[in-house]
Amino acid sequence: MASFENKSSDSISLNLTPMLDVFSILVTFLLMTYSTDPVSHSTREDIALPMSSTIAVLDEIPAVSVTKKELWLNDNKITDVIGGDVPETDRHQGAIMPLYKELVKIKEVNDRVLESLDPSSKNKKSKKGTLTMEMDSGHNFKLMKRIMLSGQQAEFLTFKLVVSKPVE
Amino acid sequence: MARRKRKSSGVEYQDIELNIMPFIDVFSILNIFLLVSASFLSIGVIKVQVPFFTNAPVPPEKAKRSLSINVDIEKTKIELKTSYSQPPINEKIKKFDNNEAGLKDLHTELVSIRNQNPDTDLVTVFSEDDVTYEEITKLLDAIKIRLPSDPAFANKADEDDSEVEKMKLEGMLYPKVVMGSVIL
Repeated sequence: MASFENKSSDSISLNLTPMLDVFSILVTFLLMTYSTDPVSHSTREDIALPMSSTIAVLDEIPAVSVTKKELWLNDNKITDVIGGDVPETDRHQGAIMPLYKELVKIKEVNDRVLESLDPSSKNKKSKKGTLTMEMDSGHNFKLMKRIMLSGQQAEFLTFKLVVSKPVE
Repeated sequence: MARRKRKSSGVEYQDIELNIMPFIDVFSILNIFLLVSASFLSIGVIKVQVPFFTNAPVPPEKAKRSLSINVDIEKTKIELKTSYSQPPINEKIKKFDNNEAGLKDLHTELVSIRNQNPDTDLVTVFSEDDVTYEEITKLLDAIKIRLPSDPAFANKADEDDSEVEKMKLEGMLYPKVVMGSVIL
């Protein structure tokens, strides 16, 4: 809002106080909700994460994403999800064959990198992998089990299930 | 700082105004930075493990008499089964509804079990195929998270736990959860 002084100088001054008020409130709100999580990640559009009161924060970008209609590993689409399950052609002994094959490739690459960093680890037993997984809250355990079985067969034994938690 | 000279009835005085422009500049930059980096949805993780078969010998501490806790979840009910690895087995089964009240009762029961067996920090979860991810998340919360009213327990960290994960252990009731149904 501009204020006019109709005096001899005719000077115009802008009243900045309301703007400062708004800025102060906005800065306070943003500082209060500021997240210091180590990893910032936006979930895929068609994933509604379940709510949880977990205290563990996300520390790596999810590798497996299961939307309502698709299953992704990193940025590669692995298969479709039809009626809450993967097509029969992609199933093998309860697991998801294309996902298993991709995970084995990732495991091999990880082992090679570890070996190059520490040559003495060559003859040691390979370290069991961890897989971060985000999944739509409406999916059934049947699909979750298939993904876990695929991971288990590729020696990914720890799963970090991504959930949504209330902003502190 | 702006100064203006005015003359009023022959007396000269100085009108002092605070220059708030640098203040606004700082606020604008801070606003833009916070708006860009703001995350309005906080994301967390729940760590679970899947069983893995090995032909390695059983570690000596596992050979001791220990308590095994199994939780079976179905669409409408949850079953808590406890038994010891060596006689007397003392198997106990308790049933709860798969709803908010049932999960609360389950959590209270788990706290009581942990109080009596502070060394047992592992729960095995078995789930039916039709249970949703959301229901499993709620169950995992009831098992893993220690409420402020619950007593604190000494949890041991795993070898592969990060420093952040080790720090969070004191907020856990049962930090180790194995998804027992994931077997070929």
